Amino acid sequence: MKRTETSELTNTAVPRRDAGVDGRKPHRGLAWIGAGALLLPLPLALSNAYSQFVVNVILINIILAVGLNIVKGFAGQVTVGHMALAAIGAYASAVFSTKLGLSFWAALPAAMLLAGLAGAMVGVPSFRLEGAYLALATLGLAESVRIVISGTDWLGAAIGYEGIPPPTIGGFVFASHRSYYYIAMPLAMLGLYVSFSILSSDVGRAFKAVREDPLAAAASGVNVRKYKLIAFVLSALYAGCAGSLQAHMAPGFLHPNSYTITEMVTLLLMVVLGGIGHIWGGVIGAIIVTLIDDLTRDYYQYRMVMFGSVIVLTVMFLPRGLGGLIDDVLVRRRFRAIRARSLELAQAADREKS
Amino acid sequence: MRQYGNRASLARVLVVAVAAGVAASPARAQDGVIRIGITLRMVVENGLKYGQLAKEQLEQVNAAGGINGKKVEVILLDDECKPDKGIANVNRFIHQHKVHLVLGSTCSSVSLPMVDVTAKEEVPQIVPHSTNANITKKGSAWVFRTSVSERFYAAIHAKYLSEHAGKKVAYLYTTDGAAIGFAKDYMAFMRKTYQIEPLYEAQMQETDLDFRSHLLKIKSLNPEVLAIGGQLDAIARITQQALEVGIASRVRRVAASAASNAPVPELAGDAVVGLIFAAAFSCKDERPVAQQFVKMVQQTYKVRCPDHDFSQAYETAQLVKLALQTAKLELTEASLKADRAAIRDALANIKNYSGLASGPISFCADPTPQCRDGNRTGILVEYTKGGKDYDMNVLARVGFDADFGL
Repeated sequence: MKRTETSELTNTAVPRRDAGVDGRKPHRGLAWIGAGALLLPLPLALSNAYSQFVVNVILINIILAVGLNIVKGFAGQVTVGHMALAAIGAYASAVFSTKLGLSFWAALPAAMLLAGLAGAMVGVPSFRLEGAYLALATLGLAESVRIVISGTDWLGAAIGYEGIPPPTIGGFVFASHRSYYYIAMPLAMLGLYVSFSILSSDVGRAFKAVREDPLAAAASGVNVRKYKLIAFVLSALYAGCAGSLQAHMAPGFLHPNSYTITEMVTLLLMVVLGGIGHIWGGVIGAIIVTLIDDLTRDYYQYRMVMFGSVIVLTVMFLPRGLGGLIDDVLVRRRFRAIRARSLELAQAADREKS
Repeated sequence: MRQYGNRASLARVLVVAVAAGVAASPARAQDGVIRIGITLRMVVENGLKYGQLAKEQLEQVNAAGGINGKKVEVILLDDECKPDKGIANVNRFIHQHKVHLVLGSTCSSVSLPMVDVTAKEEVPQIVPHSTNANITKKGSAWVFRTSVSERFYAAIHAKYLSEHAGKKVAYLYTTDGAAIGFAKDYMAFMRKTYQIEPLYEAQMQETDLDFRSHLLKIKSLNPEVLAIGGQLDAIARITQQALEVGIASRVRRVAASAASNAPVPELAGDAVVGLIFAAAFSCKDERPVAQQFVKMVQQTYKVRCPDHDFSQAYETAQLVKLALQTAKLELTEASLKADRAAIRDALANIKNYSGLASGPISFCADPTPQCRDGNRTGILVEYTKGGKDYDMNVLARVGFDADFGL
């Protein structure tokens, strides 16, 4: 592993900023395990089971937002079909566990795979379509999935799909909101870790190249179709995971009305508010939007106005979201640090001369 | 720099607003107060008024010193007819507000999962509007219903139409839960009673606007009855388009109970004349108690002819007050579980309550539909005039045995 990096100013080798005391960088996974360990006692700090319920909803929304960020933020593909993929994951997991008798632990990956397959089907139109046209194509998918569910009796149609069992390990049932946190939280952390890993990998760089300029990316040897498809499939795997978590969370009930265009707009708001292309932005957006949704529940007459205002203000004043703002702060801080270092070096050089 | 400053300020405002909201979350539930959570579909035609009516009826007792000296606090939330919102609301009521009773919801698809939550947490729930038969078939000891179950509704119009119009029925309905229930129950009744299959059956989307292609096919089949399932706008459209495509007026048209909502005759105009539907209440009910209620709604909520969702919201509030009067409540944090059980038992003890419903309302202790579908009387109503000054006529009033349709 490289223990040094090149200074921007002096063009000399300096120790990496993230290197340890002995110059060796600790494995990134350790930091994630540490963060997970810190989050373990969170339920003890929450005042009641409702707060725990909201935290679980936030965690599921984080998985959804981080997944959407892969296709929208990293690869730059406009999709409004993400909630349909979540619906596919949710209903697949429900059917696998209730009709085929699979446990949650088998139903979850199976549902993710099915959602991934659906994601690949959504990704194919992206080979030829872009922007608003791709959005329309994915909107078509979103509506068709909801309509098919609404008209399919064995999926509960418009009445709803009932009796989805909670996850179990041995004799322990994850039926309470508190216990369900220990399913949702590790999965959200794993999703975040995988997302960061993708972003810093060759695949992530290829996504960014496709996002910035598909023609230039293709000219540089990036297989644009392949990476668009990978982005859609990866994103769908996240949606499938979130859908499965929705299905098995008490009271184990699904309804097509939970996957309408309104839910999709809310999810887009999470990503836009947090900052398109920023993984932490998706997390921050999911937390803020879920909390706004919950806190404005008492003001039901004005809820949509409040939500609309947040969208308009975000687009007007924070077009790159909170993630963009954090980026600005970090860039400024780094710029100041570089300026200070260059000043120091110049002073040192002056001292040497004198 | 200024732009950066503005954006930073907005971000700070957002974060501070959310933090303030979290900090301002409801404080610890107060002792000595009866807390009731209401969740309904609010942001629709008259939806807010149903919620306000139920809330105001319950809180009215506070002006007279409360119930047995105990104040009533009502928390009213909108579930948008979405199960995930309904589940969130009921969890909030139970765990954050520590309510003694939950009242809701409007849509069956919301009430159904709510029953699972209230049964698990052992909180009494009273359902004012939902009609799906499965709500009381889940075996929950904590659920009660004041609306008429669809197992009764189907029989009212199916029996009447079979005897007075004919048995050749064409079904056209949308994909919402109530519409599917209406059509399927009607079909099941015809199969079971007369061994007759549907003449025509088509299901369309809630958002569909043009039903003419199906109506033309139906016209060519010469039905005796056209059964229309849907929310109020779909019912109004189908009724009007049936007239446009030339389906003769001798073909009797029957619609789901949403036809009782005022926008149906207002939107459909004179096409609504002759449309019949089963409901729990009609503003044409001449009993003094009914006319007094109609007058109150006209004055307070500015609605000329209150539909059965108004009457059921009102009736549910009255039944809750009655139960709270007889329940022995301590109303402390430690007694919450016992208080909830006492309210459940008091509700189960209500027998032959006579109010706005067309028949008596009775509950009992067993967690069965026979005990928990309290209102077993429906009426059959026919529109006699459409438009803004619409009018209607009650054709029949039908009461059922507790185990009918099971």
